[in-house]
This record gives sequence, structure tokens and C-alpha cells, in this order.
Amino acid sequence: MDFESSTSSDGIEARLRGRLEFTDHDRLRDIVRLLESDGIKRMVIDLKDLEFIDSAGLGMLLIMQEEAEQRNVKLIVRGPRNDVKRSIDLARISEIITIET
Amino acid sequence: MAPRIDGERPGPGLAARVAARYGLKVEECRASADPAQSVAGAVLLDHGATRDDIMAALGGTAFHTIERDSAGGAEGDWQGVPVCDHGLYLSLTTRTAFGAQCAVLVCDALAARGVLTQERRSAVELCLHEAVANAVVHGNLEIASSAKDRPDGYRVFSQLVGERMRDPVLGNRRTDIFARWRGAVLVIAVSDQGNGFDTAILPPDAGGTARSGRGFIFMRALAQDVTVTDGGRCTALRFEL
Repeated sequence: MDFESSTSSDGIEARLRGRLEFTDHDRLRDIVRLLESDGIKRMVIDLKDLEFIDSAGLGMLLIMQEEAEQRNVKLIVRGPRNDVKRSIDLARISEIITIET
Repeated sequence: MAPRIDGERPGPGLAARVAARYGLKVEECRASADPAQSVAGAVLLDHGATRDDIMAALGGTAFHTIERDSAGGAEGDWQGVPVCDHGLYLSLTTRTAFGAQCAVLVCDALAARGVLTQERRSAVELCLHEAVANAVVHGNLEIASSAKDRPDGYRVFSQLVGERMRDPVLGNRRTDIFARWRGAVLVIAVSDQGNGFDTAILPPDAGGTARSGRGFIFMRALAQDVTVTDGGRCTALRFEL
């Protein structure tokens, strides 16, 4: 998985590309680090260019949610498509994380 | 001389073990359990095979594609698995299986052989991927799901993966994928050389905030049948195509 990030007045956005899977826990650290920027109130994780997510990848989104909550940051997962959307729906994580289509 | 891996070497118990694991007849397995003969018919890849190496081998006509371990050995339970006309068998060390995206490679091979349509592929690939991830991480590397159950769990998890992949025994354990098809039915079994697990403790539903067990949710939802054998060391997925 690769990602790019950008900062706006009210928050930070990370756009994920490729596959988010069990071999990517090292990369998660880099995304969590984005939450440590000063004054962040909102973080968007954009999945529209993500092609594949496995159960470990969904677990990483839940970890991001917890890390964001601890810092009073609102986390939004945006734009999952195709197979990624199917996995998110099957695991019912929209009950815990805000998913914007 | 290859290092011994937890006593799981070809031997008198091989045919019975393999037959029980994959639901095959013992006589078939016994007939194929001649190490010299099975090695002669297999494609043997050097240790550390790349995705291109594996893809090229799976694109050929051999039934068994086997990666040698770091000592150059190729022995394994695969030697008891009889060649199937409609099937393929891939055996990789855990170090290679971890980063090779095996599910993609096997599904590419199944698609090239006309077994898998584009429509069915994504469900099969996700289930196979989950079974391989379980075999590698929880089976061969012996990392419990609970490793992630703490605030910095994902850091601990990454560290454990790195350490255990470098371990000569754990890193050389085999992750095997055995696919067979007949008519409109495809069965793919994924096996490892770990300690297995008690299937009775699998959570019935791991939705919500649970940090593990979601892989089985996917497999149960997308495969027509999921069977765990060999004390938790083998997961067989059945798909109707």
C-alpha cells in the first residue's frame, strides 16, 4: 500500500493506493503519525484508489479509529469501491467508523 | 541437509496424514509418496523465488511447484499428494509466501487455465488470501491474534513478524496451496506447519470492534463451504463456479 497526504484548514487527508493487507502493519505507523500534527480535528482516509483490503486491513482502519478518538480527531473513511466496499460491508465496520460513499 | 521442521517430514505416516488432511484415499497418497519420484516430476524453485518465478512455474504443465528451503531442501508433505489432472499444488516457505501475494498468483493461474471467471475471481481470491494470511501469520509464525490487542499492538505485531521470519525454523516452514477442480466445483486447501488451533473456539461472528476472526467471516460468507482439518493446520475452501 502507498499513500499520499495533504493538509487543509480543518484537517488532514490520506489517499491510499494499491492493496491494504496483513503485510502492511509497518505502513500503518506512518498513517498514525499523521494524527500527531498540531491542531488536527478531522482526518479523511480516502479509499477510492484502493483496490483490495483484507481482514487485517479492516483491522487497521479500526486501529486508526481508536487512535483518532484518543486525540479527539473525527475520522472519516471515504469512497470505498468494488471489492473494498464489499469487504467493508461484510465486516459491518460502518457500525463503528463513519463511511462516506 | 535441510533442517528438520517439527517432525513433519515424509515418512511412514505421510500417506495417512495427507489423505486425512485433504480428504483423499490413502492408497492414492501412498502410491505417490516416493520422494525421488515426486521430486522428479515437480518444478523446484530456488529459495527466495520471486513472484515472476512462481508465476512462470504455475503457467507450465507441472502439477507441483515447490520452493526449496534456505538449506536447499525440498522435502515436505507435498510428496504424498498425488498428481491430479485438474489441479495444481504450490508449496512456498513462509518467508516467500508472506510477500508473494500467493492468492493473486494462484488465481491468475486458475484464470489462465479457464477455471476461474472474472466474475467469481474476487470472492475466491479474497478467501484464499485470508486462508494464506492465517497459515503464514497464526500458523507458521505462531503469532496469536491477541498480539494486536493492546494500544501499540500493531507495532508489536510488525516486530514479531520480522523476528519470526528470520528464525530459521519458522521462516522455512511451508505454506501449501492445493487447488482441485471438477465440473463446476473448485476446492482450494491451504495448509501450514504450525501448531494448529482449536476450531471450537472460532468466534461465530467477529463483526464490530473485534480485532480478529474477520477472515473467517469472509470465508464463510463467500465460499460455499469452509472445512478445517489437521487440527487447524489446513483450511479447505469449496466454491461453486
